[in-house]
Amino acid sequence: MPPLATLRDVNLTLNSRAGPVAILRNVNLEITAGQSLAIVGPSGSGKTSLLMVLAGLERATSGRVEVAGEDYAGLDEDGRARVRAANIGIVFQAFHLVPSMTAAENVALPLEFAGRAGAMGVAGELLAGVGLSHRLTHYPAELSGGEQQRVALARAVALKPRLLLADEPTGNLDTATGAQVIDKLFELQRQSKATLVLVTHDERLATRCERTIHMADGRIVADRLGMAA
Amino acid sequence: MSRTDLAPTATQRSAAGRSYDALPVWMRLAARDLKAGIGDFAVFIGCIALGVMAITAVGALSDGLRGGLARQGMELLGGDISFVRPHARASEAERARLATIGRLSETASLRTMARRVDPRADQSAQALAEVKGVDSRYPLAGAVILEGGANFAAALSGAGAVVDPLLLEKMGLRVGDELRIGEAKVAVTAKLKTEPDAVSDRATFGPRVLVSMATLQSTGLIQPGTLIRWRYAVALDNGGSNPTPAGLHNLADDVKRDLPEAGFTIADRFDPSPQLTRTLERLRQFLTLIGLASLLVGGVGVANAVATFVDKRRKVIAIMKSLGAPRGLIFRVFLAQVLAVTAIGIGIGLALGAMVPVIVARAVGEVLPVELTFAVSAASLATAILYGLLVALLYALWPLGRAEHVSPSVLFRDDVAADRTCPGRPVIAATIAVAIALLAFTVLASDAKLVALSFCGGMAVVLGIFAGAGRLVPLLARRIPRARRPEVNLALRSIAAPGGLAGSVLLSLGIGLSLLIAIALVEASLEAELTGRLPETAPAYFVLDLAKSELAGFTALVNREIGGSTVQSAPMLRGRLVAIKGTPVESLKVAPDAAWVLSGDRGLTFDAGVPAGSTIVKGAWWPKDYSGEPLVSFEAELAGKLGIGLGDTVTVNVLGRNLTAKVASLREVKWDNLSLNFVIVFSPNALEAAPYKLLATIVLPKAASLDAEASLAKAMGQTYPSVTPVRVRDAIAQFNGVLAKVLTAVRVASGVTLLAGALVLAGALATAQRRRILDAVILKALGVTRARILLAHAIEYGLLALVAGVLATALGSLAAWISVDKVMTVPFVFSLFAVMQVLALAVALVAMFGGIGTWAMLRAPAVPFLKSE
Repeated sequence: MPPLATLRDVNLTLNSRAGPVAILRNVNLEITAGQSLAIVGPSGSGKTSLLMVLAGLERATSGRVEVAGEDYAGLDEDGRARVRAANIGIVFQAFHLVPSMTAAENVALPLEFAGRAGAMGVAGELLAGVGLSHRLTHYPAELSGGEQQRVALARAVALKPRLLLADEPTGNLDTATGAQVIDKLFELQRQSKATLVLVTHDERLATRCERTIHMADGRIVADRLGMAA
Repeated sequence: MSRTDLAPTATQRSAAGRSYDALPVWMRLAARDLKAGIGDFAVFIGCIALGVMAITAVGALSDGLRGGLARQGMELLGGDISFVRPHARASEAERARLATIGRLSETASLRTMARRVDPRADQSAQALAEVKGVDSRYPLAGAVILEGGANFAAALSGAGAVVDPLLLEKMGLRVGDELRIGEAKVAVTAKLKTEPDAVSDRATFGPRVLVSMATLQSTGLIQPGTLIRWRYAVALDNGGSNPTPAGLHNLADDVKRDLPEAGFTIADRFDPSPQLTRTLERLRQFLTLIGLASLLVGGVGVANAVATFVDKRRKVIAIMKSLGAPRGLIFRVFLAQVLAVTAIGIGIGLALGAMVPVIVARAVGEVLPVELTFAVSAASLATAILYGLLVALLYALWPLGRAEHVSPSVLFRDDVAADRTCPGRPVIAATIAVAIALLAFTVLASDAKLVALSFCGGMAVVLGIFAGAGRLVPLLARRIPRARRPEVNLALRSIAAPGGLAGSVLLSLGIGLSLLIAIALVEASLEAELTGRLPETAPAYFVLDLAKSELAGFTALVNREIGGSTVQSAPMLRGRLVAIKGTPVESLKVAPDAAWVLSGDRGLTFDAGVPAGSTIVKGAWWPKDYSGEPLVSFEAELAGKLGIGLGDTVTVNVLGRNLTAKVASLREVKWDNLSLNFVIVFSPNALEAAPYKLLATIVLPKAASLDAEASLAKAMGQTYPSVTPVRVRDAIAQFNGVLAKVLTAVRVASGVTLLAGALVLAGALATAQRRRILDAVILKALGVTRARILLAHAIEYGLLALVAGVLATALGSLAAWISVDKVMTVPFVFSLFAVMQVLALAVALVAMFGGIGTWAMLRAPAVPFLKSE
């Protein structure tokens, strides 16, 4: 099976006041479709940056990034946005719901932009799927952290993306709520047969994925297959 | 001196520290907090500075003009004190009395037609001119300056005339040519550059021609009853020391006592043109109100800035409270900061406002009636300071009052229940007290109290309506069914969201737009009234100085030239109202809008029957052959304002004698039909023995061509050289020119209101910017392209500008309708073009500010916002 995403010799260097800082160094990675992959490593190791590069939100300084057959090198910002709209769903640590929209409107948003009919109805079903059918008209500020993250999950899978990216999805949640959200994430991934890339610093959580890569100082230092029993 | 010499020593620093420690704790805390957060107050300072600048500028300009009037008073008046009377030249005895005061100079001004000597058929054949005959002593102060530096006395010798270049241009004449005035032929000897006393002897209807008194006599225009303004300027002979206002008042009183029948209108160098001073004062008061409007709009920016400031300080407040700070202390800390930034804003506003006269003098100094002085009065500064302070407090107290209610639990949990939105009772009471103080000060500072009160009421209503709309629009946006285009939904959700921009956009732009639309529509209505309706009802000419014996011939001539014309006439004399019910008018206190009747001479007439256009509302007209004591009929509305009723007596000085008459009737007069209307109409027996001339109107048939009109003008000039026809269209154009200048000043002042609104909007957008960037970044992360985000923003801003525009059009039209239809009693005209111009400005402003924000938003990199904090 061809890989869904490929990174070849990817470097990401950002300029700081102290001079250029290498965030990613010669990263090579192939992600197979349908796989669940955890990226772990200490703070500042480049986990989230790698995820952002995969999402096309950050442009690699050098190297090649290809997702769903699209080479990011030839795409401008809007071109990469179209790749995201068609293929990628993202879940952030800080949820990042649009504060001016209700839960249902947040979930309907990608559907509407994709021109899907009955977006609000679908959004309602998706929210029911994450146990929030009673929160459709609530604004993000009126929801708990766990609820906000579940709305974000529903929004991320609304267009049935082939690639689901999650950046520390439980980082802002307590242990019990975090566990519920993670269960829901894996459930949705299984249902949609999407590829999941999960950034976490929680080694135990990483073991729920089929593959784990370890990062340190901007490099992939270990790449292990196998899940915890 | 080395750098180390300049640096404070440790001892100095500790001394500074000690004096700092001596401050009360709230002041120290306020100073520390403000040092860190002064940037949060940029919009606050800008809003206060702008409003204070507008009010200071109005005051400084008025002070500058008044200062100019006072400083150049002697030149502008042509002496220390002047005595003016229409029709009747001062008698030998009167002149002798005036000459006892000091050096006396006599001038006589009249309107007449200046004609070319060689006959021409075109428009240049003749032109209306204001001729002024001067004696050899003129001018007693200042100098008449001629182009090319010619000598004035030499220029007037023989039958020489000094002429305004405008007249020469109009008639195609040059220096050295001759022109005819009345029966005399005069030679143009020089072009007039500056006439020192032009303010006191305004040439209203035509350009100036200066001749010697002897030349004026030779024109044959000085006849009994002719409209001539005789003016006697006196320069005091008091050994070089300057007279005092009180001294000049006493002199005036002495002359009045010695010449009780003279009926002179007296002015002195300290107020050379009471009419100009009064007009300036009214304009100052009106423009100050408009300046206040800009402050009130800017106040929204103040409120927003304070709310944001308090919001940012929630944790600081909670920390202070957790450390034991009482609520009162916290309020004082924040109030001190608000007062400090208000002081900065006021200071900037005062400095900028005081500079406006300098800029105006450079830009348009030449067209001003007097040279501006650059000194702002303490009263003008105090007015601006007080307005700035009261408005800042009015808007800042409420959001400030919420600071003391911030819960310390903010430190433990971020999402605690929202803070109380309503401040405590003392703050509410203080806000109400400030509002009352602002209202009281505004009303007390204005002569037209009702106008000031209506203005404040109107502003409160308009603010309320736009604030209400700011709350209503999000509710409506929430109820609008979802559209097919997601960009529309995005725009609507953004409007509907808590903390959306609807309130800011509507409040910030609404008032400025309403004002500008109101002004545009008032202007359109006045213009339509002055020009549009003329062909239907108005005469084409007013004719001055027509002798009774000439009426029949004149009417025949007009009809010979243009058949079907109508000539109407009424006797006209000018006289001054000197006493009402036996009380001299100087001792009367009358409403400001009736004072003009008492301020100088007015046109008078007599009539055996009720004049056309008048309706008797009280009393009865005199019998046709009435021969008893003199009777008078007074215009009803003014009579009411002057406290005149049936049976009261009024004394009018006509031709140098006092005529007392009993009020027999009160009339309602239709002023707007431009027919012959007078405030005061006498019974014929009172005046018909006096030398008088007729004032006539000529109504031409609709079909009369411009060529026929030119031919008529030429024929009138040739056959009746002493008669002065004033073309109504020219007079109206002249008036329109003045009106346009006043409206420009009003529009500039209102523009400041819109500018304040723009500043408020910019502040609100800047506050919302971080949230909006985050929104845009999330959308980008969800795969939405920039073009679609841009479209959603354009729809959002477009909808808000549309709502602001529609509401402003409705409110502005209502205000204009009230001003025009109810106050000025002129028909209201809605001008779509005028409104569209203002609305285009609204869209441009919103597009500009929204566009800048959106541009910054779309350029913002996504990652820093998406990575967890």
